Amino acid sequence: MNHHPGFDYIAISAYAVIGILVVAFVLLAFRDVGRLRTGIFRAWAIGRTTIAEAWNARIWAIVPIWFVICLIISLLVRPYSAASQVEIYLTILLRAQLVMLLVYLGILACVSLPRERERRTLITTGSKPISRLELLLGKVIGICAAGLAMLVLMTAITWGFMVVINMHIKHDAAVLYEHEQHSYNAMVRRIPPEPGVRYTARHGVLQAQNYYTGTLRIAGLINYQTNPPERALKGGSSETLYFEFPSLPAQVVSPPVFLLHFTVLRLNPGAKPNTSAQQTAAVLPPVRIHITAVLRDNPMVTAQQSLTLSPNGTAEWRPKHWTNFFSLYDPTTGRLFDPGPVLLKVTSPTLGAYLFFGAGTKAQPPACLAFNLDRSRAPAGVMIPKLNPVITGFKSNNKQEIVGPSYSHPGIPAEVASFEFHHLPDKRIPIGKHGNFTVHLFLSVDKQENEALPAIADITAFTLADPAHPFRMQVRFAEKHLTVLKLPKSLLDESALVINIQSNYPGHWIKLTQNSVQIVRPPSSFIVNLAKSEFIIFCEVVLLVVIGVTASARLGWPVAMLTTMVCYVLGNLFHFVYKLMILGGFGLYGPYIDSKMKGLWYYQIGSFITAVMVKMLYALVRLMPDFTRFDPLHDIIISRNLPWIVPVVDAGWTLACALPILALGYLLLRKQELA
Amino acid sequence: MVAEFAAIETRDLTKIYPGFWKSQQVQALTNLNLRVRQGEIFGLLGPNGSGKTTAIKLLLGLINATSGEALVMGQQAGDQDTRRRLGYLPEESYLYRFLNARQTMDFYARLFNMNRSQRRQAVDYYLDFVGLDPAVRGRRIGTYSKGQTRRVALAQALLNNPDLVIMDEPTSGLDPVGMLEIKNMILRLKAAGKTVLLSSHQLADVEDVCDRLVILYRGRVELEGALSDLLEVKDVFQLEARKVSAELQAKLVEMTNAGGAEDIQTGRPRVRLEDLFKRLVDAKRRGEPGAGSARR
Repeated sequence: MNHHPGFDYIAISAYAVIGILVVAFVLLAFRDVGRLRTGIFRAWAIGRTTIAEAWNARIWAIVPIWFVICLIISLLVRPYSAASQVEIYLTILLRAQLVMLLVYLGILACVSLPRERERRTLITTGSKPISRLELLLGKVIGICAAGLAMLVLMTAITWGFMVVINMHIKHDAAVLYEHEQHSYNAMVRRIPPEPGVRYTARHGVLQAQNYYTGTLRIAGLINYQTNPPERALKGGSSETLYFEFPSLPAQVVSPPVFLLHFTVLRLNPGAKPNTSAQQTAAVLPPVRIHITAVLRDNPMVTAQQSLTLSPNGTAEWRPKHWTNFFSLYDPTTGRLFDPGPVLLKVTSPTLGAYLFFGAGTKAQPPACLAFNLDRSRAPAGVMIPKLNPVITGFKSNNKQEIVGPSYSHPGIPAEVASFEFHHLPDKRIPIGKHGNFTVHLFLSVDKQENEALPAIADITAFTLADPAHPFRMQVRFAEKHLTVLKLPKSLLDESALVINIQSNYPGHWIKLTQNSVQIVRPPSSFIVNLAKSEFIIFCEVVLLVVIGVTASARLGWPVAMLTTMVCYVLGNLFHFVYKLMILGGFGLYGPYIDSKMKGLWYYQIGSFITAVMVKMLYALVRLMPDFTRFDPLHDIIISRNLPWIVPVVDAGWTLACALPILALGYLLLRKQELA
Repeated sequence: MVAEFAAIETRDLTKIYPGFWKSQQVQALTNLNLRVRQGEIFGLLGPNGSGKTTAIKLLLGLINATSGEALVMGQQAGDQDTRRRLGYLPEESYLYRFLNARQTMDFYARLFNMNRSQRRQAVDYYLDFVGLDPAVRGRRIGTYSKGQTRRVALAQALLNNPDLVIMDEPTSGLDPVGMLEIKNMILRLKAAGKTVLLSSHQLADVEDVCDRLVILYRGRVELEGALSDLLEVKDVFQLEARKVSAELQAKLVEMTNAGGAEDIQTGRPRVRLEDLFKRLVDAKRRGEPGAGSARR
């Protein structure tokens, strides 16, 4: 059977299995489900007894054990700064909570039902008017309630512990600030105290800050003299330029030809001052680009190629395996149908190369054209992509650098990091007494030259509606410290706000991430934020408990424990196994396989067997809940407020995963003999 | 004529416990046909391994029949609504050791959806009913004696005021006084119109309380009928009287001989040890001097 490469039939099959399970449950359990209106009280009775059982099994002991372990680890770890102190302590406390609860409640879930069978208490309980569904639900409810009680206790202790730590941090910051201020006033110190230290001394570090984070549009060169501003793709970075062609593929017989054209600017770090562009081009290797074509609506369909740009900045690409783009077959019409828009992604691995590209306007012709197309789609056989191609390349924790002005190339300006913020009037940005709003910067600097000079960033802020009147300022920033900016509220209009950052001194490379510039919104309560993180831990624990109880419906407790553990591990390997399957067969070993080997029969057989095994593993993983989505530490450790949507979605996800698992548990227990 | 309503009815009820190999299979019950009328005390007798407990578990829906059918109160065995009208006393007191008597009773009362006041009333009433010492009710069941545990188990079986009470070896683990109390309790249940299915290998228990009985052997019914019919010796006449002088005794024997009777036996009747023991303990409890001699 020839499947389309973008069709994840394993996932569909897994969903079908889950669907069958749910349908079987609905058909067989409708009476028991109907009785749940009163049955929920019976389930709660079972739950209460399970709580008593957990208490009798000394569940309370996990709280002191957890706290002692956390204290020992906290004493062994030396935090780098006040901010990292909070990060480390919260990580230790919350991770340890998760591990303790997962282990203890996992064991309890696997043991509770089999132990009732062994002790035969299930005989007496089973003679009462209780259904198997109520029994199953009662066990889950009881174990989860016991876990919740312990979690509430641990949350209270965590909060108390962090409050004590916060008091110490505030005190230390106040002493430090006073000392630095005194030194500065006495002319002993040349640099004034850090505003971040004063902020910490006043407010502490137990905060749940709300920020509005913009999009890092570019970290390279941008020319604001043109309209629209001309931008450049930075070589050697993770920046990607996206050209979008609407419904490009037309027929198998004539794959398109892509023609790309860039204006290339090269840097030669070792060159003498005033070296010409021709001289630079003569000594440097040619510029390489990687091109990937991908169906926008089905990202698994790709074609890719590496190319070298000609000296005048052009390249032509004729994709080899274009047939994949056409293989969407419509059985009703018997014809191939339109697979939707095609994205052409361009990156460059060449360091020191800037590829300026046209926006597709009259003033700036497009940097990419597609030729050799079906006349019904493109009358002239040529298609241009959408205007203003998007440039991205900054993932949340992916650090990027912008280089300051260069001594060797005085004509080339400093690189710019450009952050864009949209829909600001809807964001309830608080305005201060002086008509300003607050922006936080998190920057660090790598000083290649001019090490004695302070780290200073040039800030330019303007709205897209009025780029001709920017607000400019210079700010001094410190490594690993928050820098506070005050910007006028006139910048908050309906159009987008752009904040550009440049390095001021040659040899200063500013390092930043996607979240380096944040507009401050009113903070939330830390305790509520902590509760949200704890809730995510609870969701993960509930899912494991449901798996444990389901596994123990038929299995003895040792096998149930093993099954639950395997489910949890597989649920945590979801993305890893998915990537393995995409690589397929001996493709797992990537470039280490000799290309000559690929033609050999035993290589092909081995590769086939490996691919089948990985697919079987993937099928198994697909049936498991994805545990990787639970991340209770994501925001709280960086003093950020966790949006409400995260715990709400996690709760929904937990419910959606727990229901089919409970359905399976019911089906297993339905005809199980209790005596 | 309206057919009499059966509290329990089984038709060719068979249970085979499976084994990994066919030779390991155990045929615990074979084609059991029972009919227990409402309001009677029905005895299920047999030696160990005869299938009494298996039959009870099938009636409660705790295990699945291999073939055949079982109806309890007119519904399929194991029906959730029917179990509201059932009380079950297992052969061993399978109770949660970490709960005390009140918590145990409260737990089972919750399974019958009783509200708080109903639960409180029922718990106290039935713990009093089975005679559990109020001083031990707050202690964990794990610390109870076997007799105390048995009383709690009996109390939970009666908690919902059931129409049908199934008792598996109800007197096991009880002292003679406790046994007698249980038997009296069973008779009181009958007087209240309840149906009782009693399983035991203590023949005296069954003889004292049962109206009808069935004797099982290796999963099959060997004997069935009313107790009076089964135990009555049809061709023997017995006369009992007080103040019979030696002369009168001799005359009676002579007359009987003359009348053509065979195998004439004379002597004094004996009370059962159980009755003697009870009378003694009752007298001690009332503070009376010992009731040493056997009296009827």
